[in-house]
Amino acid sequence: MSTLTWDYVLKFVLIGDAAVGKSSLLVRLTDERFLTNPDATLGVEFGSKLIHIPDEDKTIKLQCWDTAGTEYFRSITRSYYRGAAGALLVYDVTNRASFEHAEDWLKDVRDHADPNLTCILVANKVDLVGDEEELASARASLDVPAPAGDAPRKSGEGASTIGRRSKKKREVGREEAERWAKEHNVLFIEASAKTGVNVNEAFDQAARDILRKIKQGVYDDGSSGVKSGKSPANPRKPAPNPNNTLTLESTKQSSGCC
Amino acid sequence: MEFLNQTYFALRGPTETTQNPHDTVSRLADRLAQSTQLEDRRAALFALRGLSRDYRAEVGASALDAFLVVIDGDALVDQEVAKAVLQTLNTLCEVDGAESGPEQREIGLRNTDKVLQDPLHTRKLFGLLNDASFYTKYGALQLLNTLATNRRSVVQGHFLNAPEISPTVIAMLEEKRDMIRNEGLQLFQALIAQNTDIQTVFAFGGAFESLLRIIAQEGGVEGGLTSYSCLIAIEGLLRYNSSTQTYFRELLPSLPPLLLFPPSITPEQESPQEFSLQFWDEAKTKNSSLVVGIIGTMKAPEHIRLLMELGIASNAPPFLKTQALSLLAGYNQAPPLFQVITPYHPVADTNGEEWDRLEPCRAVDLLVSISVDGEYSGMALTPPTGKESMEYRGVALSTFDNFAKDEEVATDILNGMLSTTQTPPTSASKLLLTSISTLPTSPLSSIAAVKLQYTCLLFASLFHGPPNHSSTSPKAIARGLGSLSATSTDGGNFFVPADGGPPTDAKVADEDDDEPPSSLLQLLTEHLSLSMLARSKVGDDVIEARLWDKVIVSYLVLLCTWLWEDPKGVRIFLEGGGVGVLVEPISQTSGIDVLVQGLCALLFGICYHFNREPGGEITRKTLHAIITRLGVDHLIARMARVKDDDRFRHVSPESIVLPFHPSMISNGIPEAEIWLDWAFVEFWKGNYYTVQKGVSTDPDSQAPGPGDAAELQMVIASLRDVIRKQADELQAARAESTGLKVKANANKAGDADLQKKLDALTLERETEREALQKEISVLSTQISELQEKKKEQEKEQEDLLVFLEEMSEKRKRDKATMRTAGLEVSEDEGGDEEDD
Repeated sequence: MSTLTWDYVLKFVLIGDAAVGKSSLLVRLTDERFLTNPDATLGVEFGSKLIHIPDEDKTIKLQCWDTAGTEYFRSITRSYYRGAAGALLVYDVTNRASFEHAEDWLKDVRDHADPNLTCILVANKVDLVGDEEELASARASLDVPAPAGDAPRKSGEGASTIGRRSKKKREVGREEAERWAKEHNVLFIEASAKTGVNVNEAFDQAARDILRKIKQGVYDDGSSGVKSGKSPANPRKPAPNPNNTLTLESTKQSSGCC
Repeated sequence: MEFLNQTYFALRGPTETTQNPHDTVSRLADRLAQSTQLEDRRAALFALRGLSRDYRAEVGASALDAFLVVIDGDALVDQEVAKAVLQTLNTLCEVDGAESGPEQREIGLRNTDKVLQDPLHTRKLFGLLNDASFYTKYGALQLLNTLATNRRSVVQGHFLNAPEISPTVIAMLEEKRDMIRNEGLQLFQALIAQNTDIQTVFAFGGAFESLLRIIAQEGGVEGGLTSYSCLIAIEGLLRYNSSTQTYFRELLPSLPPLLLFPPSITPEQESPQEFSLQFWDEAKTKNSSLVVGIIGTMKAPEHIRLLMELGIASNAPPFLKTQALSLLAGYNQAPPLFQVITPYHPVADTNGEEWDRLEPCRAVDLLVSISVDGEYSGMALTPPTGKESMEYRGVALSTFDNFAKDEEVATDILNGMLSTTQTPPTSASKLLLTSISTLPTSPLSSIAAVKLQYTCLLFASLFHGPPNHSSTSPKAIARGLGSLSATSTDGGNFFVPADGGPPTDAKVADEDDDEPPSSLLQLLTEHLSLSMLARSKVGDDVIEARLWDKVIVSYLVLLCTWLWEDPKGVRIFLEGGGVGVLVEPISQTSGIDVLVQGLCALLFGICYHFNREPGGEITRKTLHAIITRLGVDHLIARMARVKDDDRFRHVSPESIVLPFHPSMISNGIPEAEIWLDWAFVEFWKGNYYTVQKGVSTDPDSQAPGPGDAAELQMVIASLRDVIRKQADELQAARAESTGLKVKANANKAGDADLQKKLDALTLERETEREALQKEISVLSTQISELQEKKKEQEKEQEDLLVFLEEMSEKRKRDKATMRTAGLEVSEDEGGDEEDD
């Protein structure tokens, strides 16, 4: 673990109503498993993963902060917006209200977060309405070049007919959500934490968008949520000061405040 | 001062009227609030600052609101004003700094509440931390610290509602200026105290990275007070917070280097010498202890080796080693104590400045040596019976106990005692056997007594595994152990210092006629008896008497543990004269230690309860007679007194070392004591009731004997195994079945084909069957036809027979007629007739 290096550390927050599957998305991303019976998140949980963007040849460390969706924790959740580079705004396709609340969540984010924050609207639980095949085929049109290094996706397995027991009614159509996303200038993807379909892609898309912004120089180094890891080739050579491992993320974090 | 004079002068006016502070303050406050000139406001503020120390109540009551306005106004443009207003507010809110009477305290708290009433002011104060001026920053930090000290949860609440603050506070930790950084750390610690939400917010903001960076800049654990505060802060962020712990897991590799240990190391690699041998001072020990504590909080398996090396082989202070070892107990997995490590010994008389590197040995060998002889085989600077050393040896004992719970380990160590050649003398096995075989001699030194105590407890650890009655169980192997020092019955002092050579086996050869005990268990019985004898001869020496009591208790603890559920062992003990040894102390009414007496009673009860080995010389009946004579109630009462004894009650899982006893002072230095270990206390609590019931049962009763229990245990164990296996199989089968399901689905297309084929085949078979049936019916008609034919034929035959009969009858008649008619009749037939 310690030998891994990365080019950037990107901080993500997962937000959205309670029980839309934020924690499940995170666990699917980091552990590649599905939480069958997750407890409600209290406060904030943490997970991280290294991803590689082949066409940029950049390794990125995603630091994801999974927040509590319940209103009670809202003020705490806000503390995380400011330091984040990306936000996954999650709703549940079988729960109309969770989609309608996306408006409030986005407003909250825009009020508190860095103006350059990349937001992606994620429609979760598409496995329940059972059109992943359609989804998988639609993925090409979603303008996501599937990462080459990540060849056989697990999603094929999820698309099999096993385990699709309880079909639920879809309450939010894709076109509608897509339209909304476009209007509000956020990215959009439909995914399922249960089958794993499009979960990596969601983070991938957001990360690419942030990389693009970095390239454009939107973020001055040390700005919130984005840190360039110096990723020294050999961070721990036997030097007299053995503490140099601490300099892995050597970018000075300036106070960067108003 | 100039301002002050001016103001006073102006206020006093030309006439010398008497002033009262209340009027003055309120006039100044009005001026501060209402004057349009900055100069005037400044003057008023400075005047108020001057008054604030002596008239806290008045200034607070009249001018506080005006001060809060200044914070958001003048303070932002004028550094002097900012400094003054922050200082004044701090004076007004301080509780501890003021000449603390309850009244002053009350004022401080009231002012604090007023400042905190509106969250906006707190935000403004945090905002001032971004100010470039040193005094503004420092003043704001000081004030915030005062507020947080007085009303922590309120400040925490305001903080959580203002997300933009957290980077500011983290920035304080990275300050170059010591004064600010220290105040910043203090504020940081106040904010995170007992508040997981804030802890997590800080982790999100990169506090861990900042803190680790500061520690590195300061020179790691050698960074003195700054490193100390940072480590405390890290610990505060991690404690009871699973989110921050998950986050910190990624930073784990940065911990070992703080202690000069490589972040990753293979089992084959030796730990570096710069880790094992370091210079230690008090500050460094304190910081290292925090690092070790953080390692303990994280419980990461990759740190086990570090803790083990630090706790066993390094030259760290005993305090730190004790901490490292005791943390090992918190892990679910046992430390790899069979790992070979390199120990170091201090060179004598160099005051710990020169060290010898010793031959590599197994960690467990060193561990046992630490417990038996003390750190560095008793050559450490601290006295081996001092509190610190005793704690260390006690932790080594419990680490060993944990390790030996694995039966394989216990068996391995006991087998090491059996073989005389292969095991090196420094091994744990040999060290234990040598020490346990040593007869304590009078006059008993406390060092020797403690050594024997630890040895007995270590030895008892070998029997702490799950019950096992096979012939390869630890107890069975131990029964087969011969005594290493049969010669010790000669009365020769056989105390062997660990750095001295091992006893040569040659000594065993010169047995005398006195029938030396042939097994270790017999030897122990004898040593117990001799120790009791020695104790009775001590006389007035309170200290030595107490030492002997300790030795006796240790022997009893070992024997109780050993003989429990071991009928064969009980038999050896009884036939070695155990009854006589125990009965005397039990029946004694005065001058005997409560613990000794109670444990004797317990051991006696165990012997009675488990004396089930057939063919023993001393039967249950014999013992029962003794019990009746002693009195069952009497025996039980003796046992029960153990649990009320302080030496029993003060033993805890964390520490077995007892508070100083007034009589235990040797050469003016108080000595720490151990009596029992936690494992025995648990044993006692778990089994006392069984023994108590056991002594009141009839000698002939086949009460749940150990055999049954053992059998039951074994059955349970085997059933458990079966269940586990079945569960595994079930899981495998489930996996397989899901696999098959998937396959089945994939093969569905193929299935259709197969179905068709199957249908065709069925059809074919059907037609075939029909054809066969037809054939059958044809055949059956044929059969019936044939049967009919056969019947007909039979009838015909019968008819023919009848006809034949008739014919022969007729012929007879005819012949007779012919004879009578005189016609010649053939002989043959006539003869025939006559014969008939």
